[in-house]
Amino acid sequence: MNFRRYLLRKAVYVIITIFFIASLNFLLFQVIAGDPTYVLLPRGCGTSNVTGECPLRAQLIHEWALDQPLIVRFVTYLRNVFSGNLGTSITYQTGVPVATIIAPRLSTTLILVGVATAATMWLGIILGRISGWRRGRPADVIITLSTLFGYSMPSFWVSLLLIFSLSVSVRIFPVYWDFGAYARMDLLSAVLDYIWHLILPVATFIITNVAWFSLTLRNSLTDVLPEDYMITARAKGLSQGQQLRWHALPNARLPLVTASALYFGWVVSGAIVIEIVFTIQGLGQLTWEATTSFDFPLLSAIFLIATIGVVVANAVADVLYMFLDPRVREA
Amino acid sequence: MNVAETTIVGKRYPLLRERLSHDIERFRKFTAVLIKNRLAFAGIVIIALFTVMSFGAPLLVGPYPSQLQRTTDNLPPSSAHWLGTDWEGFDILTLLVYGGQISLIIGFSASIVAMVLGTLVGVVGGFYGGITDLILARMTDFFLVIPWLPFVLVLVIILTPSLATIILAIAIVSWPSTARVIRSQVLTVKERQFIERSRAIGARPSFIVRKHIIPNVMPLVWAEAVLTVSNSVFTEAFLSFFGLGASGPDVIRSWGVLVNESYIHLALVQGHWWYFGPPGLFITVVVLGFAMLGYGLEEVMNPALKRR
Repeated sequence: MNFRRYLLRKAVYVIITIFFIASLNFLLFQVIAGDPTYVLLPRGCGTSNVTGECPLRAQLIHEWALDQPLIVRFVTYLRNVFSGNLGTSITYQTGVPVATIIAPRLSTTLILVGVATAATMWLGIILGRISGWRRGRPADVIITLSTLFGYSMPSFWVSLLLIFSLSVSVRIFPVYWDFGAYARMDLLSAVLDYIWHLILPVATFIITNVAWFSLTLRNSLTDVLPEDYMITARAKGLSQGQQLRWHALPNARLPLVTASALYFGWVVSGAIVIEIVFTIQGLGQLTWEATTSFDFPLLSAIFLIATIGVVVANAVADVLYMFLDPRVREA
Repeated sequence: MNVAETTIVGKRYPLLRERLSHDIERFRKFTAVLIKNRLAFAGIVIIALFTVMSFGAPLLVGPYPSQLQRTTDNLPPSSAHWLGTDWEGFDILTLLVYGGQISLIIGFSASIVAMVLGTLVGVVGGFYGGITDLILARMTDFFLVIPWLPFVLVLVIILTPSLATIILAIAIVSWPSTARVIRSQVLTVKERQFIERSRAIGARPSFIVRKHIIPNVMPLVWAEAVLTVSNSVFTEAFLSFFGLGASGPDVIRSWGVLVNESYIHLALVQGHWWYFGPPGLFITVVVLGFAMLGYGLEEVMNPALKRR
């Protein structure tokens, strides 16, 4: 079928969704922020003139265009977003464009999240394959229960346990991550140090989320195993491993694509805890700092980027699904 | 004596009894199935244990410690204090047993609010369709993709942390998944024949929603509600860990607050595992318990998910 037309339709859909998200994001922060001038001028202002007016506040209102009607601000906001202007930070680093603050943080978080997703998926596939293939046997019960237990653990607690056991009791891994040190290191030792620091945070992601993939694969394997072609595969004398590798897995793998897109959205949330506990200077930590300093433009931009990221990830998953599944591809 | 009246009265009582016994029978069958489902049963046992423990706390460990009952702080476990004392000199075991109250109250209340919101949005969107559905579905999607943890943190900070605002904030981030599930269920129920028949007799939409749609999606709502309790307890723990739990000198500390306090007061570096370990374990087990009951309920109520 027309793959190109499908892509085009998907792209249009993504753009419309982003438009919707930007609008809702704008409205959301209208509600959340209330009167944002109070963030900078919490107690009114020191130099109010004789009439009791606050020139500083009036100036802020004018500068932030809060005196404009909502619809005008909305149009301006959309125009800015679609031309890549995300606004200016008001408290965190006053006056600095939000994009400049976010960019270095985003790359740190993307590395963390990327490595974590790949590792979680890899382990999830291995575990899911075992438990799906041996459904109901002890191996399956143990894997399912332990991954579910991990899934129920709050990630902050897991990271505390890991730090306690592997950084405090037995001093293998570092507790504190000094990003400033990389300026003084050569490339090789910097990369090694980076990897060394990544191990515990990534382990936290794996422990708390591996159920996501292992259970998805287990359930889809269960759907696949009773199919006729599996009986054929067994009847023609393939070994268990061959049945699994050639016939069961290619069909059972598809839901993993969707799961990983959903996982991406989850991981964006999860990063905030892990980055704070492991002192990683990423987007999650920035989110927390923006929240506690009531930096609404910064926060709004982070929300926008994160939601758009999730939408794009889902769209990519849909396209990938289409590409991987001949039934959908040919239809 | 009026003959007609006696017949009506005479008829009404057996009818009522019949209906009641029918309901009881249904409930009995349902519990039997539920208990047979090992996942759900284990979940029920866990939930029951922790509920009894948390709300029976005054009988188990005495009254909630007041500021006057402090002893030496940061004591290691001993026969007097099985899990040692915290940074203020309170017995950790006592705090731990009481802590479940807050987690469970928040879990249940947030779930109820989220269920009402989610069911409302799901039923209205699914049943009325058209532009209403379009707007509601887009809104649901937006709240689904927005990163839930930063969002709930922002909400609580803006609303200033208290029991009520925490419940509200958790409900606001929890309703979308319910709305989505309920909506799709309404879409299938709507097409069933008895709805069309009812419409043909002249039933108004509001009547159909009340008498046919709602009762048919209710089982799913229950399963969703239990899963949402699990998520709410989980979310409350995260909020507390960020220092946004309900706090104050006389407020009962939730498990999340205990972990947060241990973290702030450096239990980690000092190696006081008895301080941050048990509350986290309790959170995990309760979250797991509700999740198990929820999945079990889904399995029992949704024939499509039945084990193959």
